[in-house]
Amino acid sequence: MSTLLKARPQQNSLFRSWQGPLTRELVQAPSAHGLGRLPERLQPTATTESVCGFCSTGCSLKVHLRDGEAINLSADPQYPVNRGMACPKGWEALAPLSAGDRATEPLLRGDDGRMRSVKWNGALSVMVDRFRRIQERHGPDSLAWLGTGQIPTEELALLGSVAKFVLGIRHGDGNTRQCMATAVTAYKESFGFDAPPYTYEDFEESDVLVFFGSNLCIAHPILWQRVLRNRRNPDILVVDPRATETAQAATRHYGLQPKSDLSLVYGLAHLLLKKDWVDHSFIRKHTNGFDAFAEFVQAFHPQRVSAETGLSVEQLEQFAERIGCGGRVSFWWTMGVNQSHEGVRVAQGIINLALMTGNIGKPGTGANSITGQCNAMGSRLFSNTTGLLGGRDFENPQHRNEVASILNIPEERIPDQKSLAYDQIIEGIQEGRIKGLWIVATNSAHSWMHQNGLMDALRQLEFLVVQDMYASTETAQLADLILPAAGWGEKEGTFINSERRIGRVRKVRRAPGEALSDFSIFQLIAHYAGCADMFRDWDSPESVFEILKKLSRGQPCDISGIEGYSALENQGGIQWPCSEQMLSDAGGKVAAQRRLFEDGRFHHEDGRARFIFEQPRALPEACNVDYPFTLLTGRGTSAQWHTQTRTAKSDVLRKLYPQNTYVELHPEDARALELDPGEAVQVRSRRGSVRAVVHVTPIVQPGQVFIPMHYPEVNRLTFPVVDPYSRQPGYKACAVCIEKTSSKDLS
Amino acid sequence: MRKESSVDWDAAEAVDPVTRYLQKEQRLETPVARFAEAHATESLRTEAYRSLIPLTAPQKGEQYAFEVNLDQCTGCKACVTACHSLNGLDEHEAWRDVGLMQADAPAAYQQTVTSACHHCADPGCLNGCPVDAYDKDPETGIVHHLDDQCIGCQYCILKCPYDVPKYNKRLGIVRKCDMCHSRLAEGEAPACVQACPNEAIRIVKVPTESTGSEEPDPVFKGFPQGATEHGYTQPTTRYLSKRGVPEAAQAADARALRPQHLHGPLVIMLLLTQFSVGLLSAGYLLGSRELLFAAAASCLAGLMASGAHLGRPLKGWRAFVGWRHSWLSREVIALGAYMPLLAATLLPALNFIAPLAIGVGLVGVFTSVMVYHDTHRRLWQFSWTAMRFYGSSLLAMACGGLALGAWVGDGRLLSLALFGVVAASLFKGAGELSFAKRALSNPEPSAERQSLRLQWGPLRSLSLLRWTGLVGGGLLLPLFLLIGNWGSVLQLTLSLALIITCLTAEIAERMLFFRGVDAPKMPGGVYS
Repeated sequence: MSTLLKARPQQNSLFRSWQGPLTRELVQAPSAHGLGRLPERLQPTATTESVCGFCSTGCSLKVHLRDGEAINLSADPQYPVNRGMACPKGWEALAPLSAGDRATEPLLRGDDGRMRSVKWNGALSVMVDRFRRIQERHGPDSLAWLGTGQIPTEELALLGSVAKFVLGIRHGDGNTRQCMATAVTAYKESFGFDAPPYTYEDFEESDVLVFFGSNLCIAHPILWQRVLRNRRNPDILVVDPRATETAQAATRHYGLQPKSDLSLVYGLAHLLLKKDWVDHSFIRKHTNGFDAFAEFVQAFHPQRVSAETGLSVEQLEQFAERIGCGGRVSFWWTMGVNQSHEGVRVAQGIINLALMTGNIGKPGTGANSITGQCNAMGSRLFSNTTGLLGGRDFENPQHRNEVASILNIPEERIPDQKSLAYDQIIEGIQEGRIKGLWIVATNSAHSWMHQNGLMDALRQLEFLVVQDMYASTETAQLADLILPAAGWGEKEGTFINSERRIGRVRKVRRAPGEALSDFSIFQLIAHYAGCADMFRDWDSPESVFEILKKLSRGQPCDISGIEGYSALENQGGIQWPCSEQMLSDAGGKVAAQRRLFEDGRFHHEDGRARFIFEQPRALPEACNVDYPFTLLTGRGTSAQWHTQTRTAKSDVLRKLYPQNTYVELHPEDARALELDPGEAVQVRSRRGSVRAVVHVTPIVQPGQVFIPMHYPEVNRLTFPVVDPYSRQPGYKACAVCIEKTSSKDLS
Repeated sequence: MRKESSVDWDAAEAVDPVTRYLQKEQRLETPVARFAEAHATESLRTEAYRSLIPLTAPQKGEQYAFEVNLDQCTGCKACVTACHSLNGLDEHEAWRDVGLMQADAPAAYQQTVTSACHHCADPGCLNGCPVDAYDKDPETGIVHHLDDQCIGCQYCILKCPYDVPKYNKRLGIVRKCDMCHSRLAEGEAPACVQACPNEAIRIVKVPTESTGSEEPDPVFKGFPQGATEHGYTQPTTRYLSKRGVPEAAQAADARALRPQHLHGPLVIMLLLTQFSVGLLSAGYLLGSRELLFAAAASCLAGLMASGAHLGRPLKGWRAFVGWRHSWLSREVIALGAYMPLLAATLLPALNFIAPLAIGVGLVGVFTSVMVYHDTHRRLWQFSWTAMRFYGSSLLAMACGGLALGAWVGDGRLLSLALFGVVAASLFKGAGELSFAKRALSNPEPSAERQSLRLQWGPLRSLSLLRWTGLVGGGLLLPLFLLIGNWGSVLQLTLSLALIITCLTAEIAERMLFFRGVDAPKMPGGVYS
């Protein structure tokens, strides 16, 4: 490219310096790696790609290396997911690795209550010994672990295997319970397998995109990019009590009452039936249970649904018309649906809409759950917590037999019962049944609902092990033993993103001090438990990937056709399924964008999808005179990730979100309470109280308030309720009151 | 090769597994560079951004400008981090920001707004810079900052109505966006343009003539809260929106109370140079060499304090360079001339030049007033600032007389000086009250009102100190001294107490002047 612009003056004079050492700090030179111009200090000697470790979009980041070590990164222009873009968290992905409060050595709490550094061998001997003694004293089920969706699949599989097959811990769950359990259960019941059917291309191929409880613009900004790339001039319908960033960018916003979405989806089905905007042929060939469903939704006439949702009859009719006559309709949902007391039925209500209109298995369609964490999808298939490895069932003897023979372990090591769910584990601790807990890469003391109750439970434990990058998290501070772990960027493996794409995660930095990758820690625990031999074949993440391939063979999530890490690297990730058969049918390379159910065959034995429905239930904690506001929680900004253990470590990200807890309040309510913007208030629920600064904004409805989930004290307020089928917490609605505090001082 | 020579795996196998894993963790197995592929993607990248940047240099009468399509900006803020990472900024440094506007009528409205430097047609930073560390590129209109020319005085930060220049403590200078000039020169897109997933930011050519305030872009109107004359620098950024921005739209942080930077050395510099002029006048009128010495010491200390304000004091000697346009340069020149003249009056033989020194000193105070007036900040407007600054000189003059009168026991001088203290205090108080009156006269949110809210909100204790000091030292103590017939020791003690009280009140006044100003800026996010 020839130079477009004239050269700038270079020559210094007595009174004016155009050049010098300060100017040179930022002067750019062309880089040799397709990265364009970069400052001299940041010129890489090589680059490599790694999938981002924050959300489930699964963007590939191009890591800039100098002497093999990451010095900077940018978005990968060639990856089919993000096409050269990243959100602020991705751009700042390296910053959390250099934080000053990284855990660099194991820490053990002494008799005096103080944490002291210990050697790894001491730490792990103590852990295995204490766990063993607890089991001896209180029985085999007195231990549990809480895992994560933030570590590679290979590590998750090793964790689940070491915990269940070596340590004999039957009860293990993960923080994925907090984000995806509802979608998992809904898909399993409706489709016969936990199989999000879409590929990101569907964002671009739709005529109508319907978002339920999803603030895609800031929660998954790179997926919003895909929506904007849609050249079909799509209608974008957003269902959300708040007029979020996504609602602002939509063509239509349906600001319904919190948790009235089940009525809404049944009401829409009612209208679709009434107008006969229904794909009878698809229903007949590929589904079960439609007649009962049609009968059931008769009761959801527009007047009733209007009263329950707060939407007008006209809005409902228009909504149904867009679904019925809009062409290719895709339905998308996120936490607004999943985190609910009846989330599974809502998700299935959305699935029902897709099934009855035949909007599945075709470009631009689908009932599509957008996942939360970077490897929630890996955890769903291979964490060996709720389900047995490879999307199997612990209660199925044939499944146990398959796994035992693939892994070459005694079958009796595999529990024949399901694990307790997260909330049941906490309940077990509260009731004194569970005495020892191992928390891996999650910050329960911030993220779990009804925080005060959880903290009391954790304090009740005989032995709490926390394995994390930081010794400073709210959870780590309660630990008896802290195991220092490497973070994203300091270890190898694979993640599975929302569209089932398996992508590579690479080690581009050395972990600080004596921190070890979770993989190594699990291996060492197996060694100290005297079972190193059982995992002799699991000697590296890549060899575990080979084992995962074997475990998946013949399952709907079959990945046996993926040749190995190099295939993932060369093809821009590969979506499951990718069986050996599919690979050979496709001539050695499967297509980059693949959706499920194109043949109309679902994973139930009869090959049919099921219509599942149930009467809506009232909000578990309704407002009353004392607690007149509904508290909504959710994502604050795109610069924040969950409990902020990592995003708060970046100076730049910290500039991009409000520093202190704030509460969004509608102008009418602010007037009624005589509150000015910036005033401090106490937000109080029956369970706790939080100090927050008032932000007056019309994007919340009167009678509703919103606090982002990233502030640690928010979950003091939330109501402890779970969906009965998925056992996922319903964070999104509880009753609170707002009390003015005396101090007006902001500083 | 998977093995590194430093690790003998067969031997390691035999040793403790912890050691084995710790050694393994320290290995990096990142692959070799992928040069071939990288080169292939280079053209692909430039192709992708072709529609987002101009492919030719601006013609005469044109300049480059940012164009932001608000309808596409959904607040992901990737632009901020990409700018940070690709330009190699320091950890805490960001040249771009994303704010929020909202309105409750006609419908619930919210809009994120990305902004960086507006590369103004008539840049405030450039006009204020005392060392010409800003250069408006004649070809592109990009406002460049010359990092090696900057002395770190931070006046540009006060001058910019958009809060664009950012001070870098490590380097002692200000830095800012240059629209990635060197990328544009090679046909590459600026970092923010490259990074926006929604293609909301573009670089366009705009006519330099019509970007001015005579035809303000309707979308742009009302962005920076408070500053009524915000358009005076003629920002060139174009904000587009098909859905429109409601009339009622306000920045999400429009009512946020942010105490501003104290600028401690400037508080000291301003007070001491203004005191110096008053003390010099008193010394000259009363023929007191002690007061002349006090004036000189005060001025010298003040000027030294001003040096402490600079990030790079050794480069400060260039500060006169911008005299044609910068009131800061003019202040440097005037006060720089005042000091030697004042020193000369200390020599009995040169005492006759004292009136000249006083005159130059008064001009110096005038330039100080103009330094702040020229920022267009409401609290710092000419009349209010002049009353503060000249009032300080008057007060110092009266206090000088009082000190002398009390010391030598001259009852007439004492009384006269006490009246002077009362008069100067009333003068200053009247100025500050008239500002408050102006602020309260308009019920709508305004920059004046914001200042007052700041002063009586987060800065309440400082305000209380200022006003109790003014009433106590400027009115009550003088009256007390005037009506009573006190012994000389008590009189001297009370006079000293009065002077200390007035000095305290003055320091509080000047701290409030800096901390309590409402600084215009682009819309910010939720302020908590």
